[in-house]
Amino acid sequence: MKKFLIKVNGNQYEVEVEEVRDGSVASQSVQTATAAAAPPVAPAAPAPAPAAQAPTSAPKAAAPEPKVSSEVPAGAKTITAPMPGTILGVNVNTGDVVKKGQVLLILEAMKMENEIVAPNDGKIASINVSKGASVNAGDVLLSMI
Amino acid sequence: MATNDKLNELRMRKEKASMGGGAEKISKQHSQGKLTARERLEKLFDDGTFVEIDAFVETRSIEFDMQKKKVAGDGVVTGYGNVDGRLVFATAQDFTVIGGSLGEMHAKKITKVMDMAVKMGAPFISINDSGGARIEEGIDALSGFGDIFFRNTLASGVIPQISVIMGPCAGGAVYSPAITDFVFMVENTSQMFITGPQVIKAVTGEDVTFEQLGGAETHNSISGVAHFKCANEDECIENIKKLISYLPDNNLSDPPVYQNNDDMNRVAVELDEIIPDGSNKPYDMLDIITRIVDNGDFFEIQKHYAKNIIIGFARLNGSTVGIIANQPNVMAGSLDVNSSDKAARFVRFCDCFNIPIVTFTDVPGYLPGVEQEHSGIIRHGAKLLYAFSEATVPKVNIIVRKAYGGAYIAMNSKHLGADMVFAWPTAEIAVMGPDGAANIIFRKEIASADDPIAARNEKIEEYREKFSNPYVAAARGYVDDVIEPATTRPRLINALDMLASKRETRPTKKHGNIPL
Repeated sequence: MKKFLIKVNGNQYEVEVEEVRDGSVASQSVQTATAAAAPPVAPAAPAPAPAAQAPTSAPKAAAPEPKVSSEVPAGAKTITAPMPGTILGVNVNTGDVVKKGQVLLILEAMKMENEIVAPNDGKIASINVSKGASVNAGDVLLSMI
Repeated sequence: MATNDKLNELRMRKEKASMGGGAEKISKQHSQGKLTARERLEKLFDDGTFVEIDAFVETRSIEFDMQKKKVAGDGVVTGYGNVDGRLVFATAQDFTVIGGSLGEMHAKKITKVMDMAVKMGAPFISINDSGGARIEEGIDALSGFGDIFFRNTLASGVIPQISVIMGPCAGGAVYSPAITDFVFMVENTSQMFITGPQVIKAVTGEDVTFEQLGGAETHNSISGVAHFKCANEDECIENIKKLISYLPDNNLSDPPVYQNNDDMNRVAVELDEIIPDGSNKPYDMLDIITRIVDNGDFFEIQKHYAKNIIIGFARLNGSTVGIIANQPNVMAGSLDVNSSDKAARFVRFCDCFNIPIVTFTDVPGYLPGVEQEHSGIIRHGAKLLYAFSEATVPKVNIIVRKAYGGAYIAMNSKHLGADMVFAWPTAEIAVMGPDGAANIIFRKEIASADDPIAARNEKIEEYREKFSNPYVAAARGYVDDVIEPATTRPRLINALDMLASKRETRPTKKHGNIPL
């Protein structure tokens, strides 16, 4: 993972970029806003910005950012987005043991914070989206085994 | 033959008929976790009330040695009895007899009972456990199916019809359950499909197991064909009895009223706090429903399908009501293709059988997306509007939070003929959400402002203050009253009591043309 420091509108962001060589998957990036930065405006804010409703809470400084993967381990059950929206937050990490009904991530859609919950007890096998990502219905959000 | 011998002959024949395909086949049925047809009927009906008819009916087919294979009863047990004291007609296919396959006389037994059920105005329950059409009987078997489907259709809306899938139900046979009002399935032992895995593999090359293709899980969660998924046959039969307890015998009677020990004036203080402060935060609509209905008892239907909408039966002051409610916990409670279908059919069932309709509305709108549009959200969404408009039973709506745009209209609004519309103080009844509206109405102001983002936020707040509340609608009388959430139960019971004598007619017509 290559690290870059990017300045946007006076705010500084630390970005990790991973290049995938087989050409089948686009590279993912994980944003870590530096602690001093003001609440980040969604990058390349689209004109009719639904993201204006994005929560202003700063990212939890203590919890490590979930590691985002572009693959799903074989045998894992995928959890997909029920509708198009934006990921407001990811509450778990790869390897976490979760219980049925536990909130895994928050998807903002239809002006609501929709909780995506674990369909059964299990372990997080992969996390395939990051906070701020735009997803379509059916996109893989994470997988469990 | 002496008279006494004739009596003995009768007893012997009856005994033989009651064994179906014989002890060995019965054993095999049990080993698969399935009860026999007679055992199922014994469990369903009150002790000693089941009367079997046509036990001696046999096939008259002569092809393929059928006369050697024939068994009295021809693979189905039919009759009537009492379920919790009420007359019910039932048929149960007997898998131990020629695989429960449907032949000409087997079908005639079923149609005879269906005709009786309509004449006597009592619910009809059909237990399916069959290999399908009896191929040896050819077109006579097909004709049997046709006769059954025709009667399912004619009886639809006249008597409640319940299908119970307790084994295979394949090929054309599935159309009978599809036409009936409710379909019960049992996990692992029941399947429904038009073409089975082998044919599918041969024609399209797809590999799929029986369960994946048409098991209880599939039809309850994916296709929406089934209404109930039960862990085993005992649980299934208990649920059937519970369902019947909410329903009238036929379309000319009212549902039974039960003695109620839950105070009809009970105030539920938790309801005053149940809506989160943030209007974008989800909550579980079931928490609201269970605090309002008698004893918190809500009989949910199609629990695993289109979970963004909730349907089911409950009682208010001892009387059945049909409840439809958006579920903000799932897909923001928005309306889409599947939820529109699920709710519309339930509304029409309630209307068929004189069951008042109560809705709890918290809907942000119809789900946007190309997938929805291309799947025909236009005609599926229209079904819900049509169903509410068409219904002449008492209709009461409680707008709990969001009610935006077309979805506000679709959810049992005043405009579609709702008799009483209540709103909670947290209701937001408007043409669209503040963000979207501000963008359109104040576009010029925002564009020309020094700080467009701040201006936008200001306008959003302005719009929210002015329009995201129940009072604009109340000012027009689109909402009959804004009520304190804790008082919802007594207000509802009072409204339904007032509406009990409602008589409403529609212009005379053969029937409408609901978008399908």
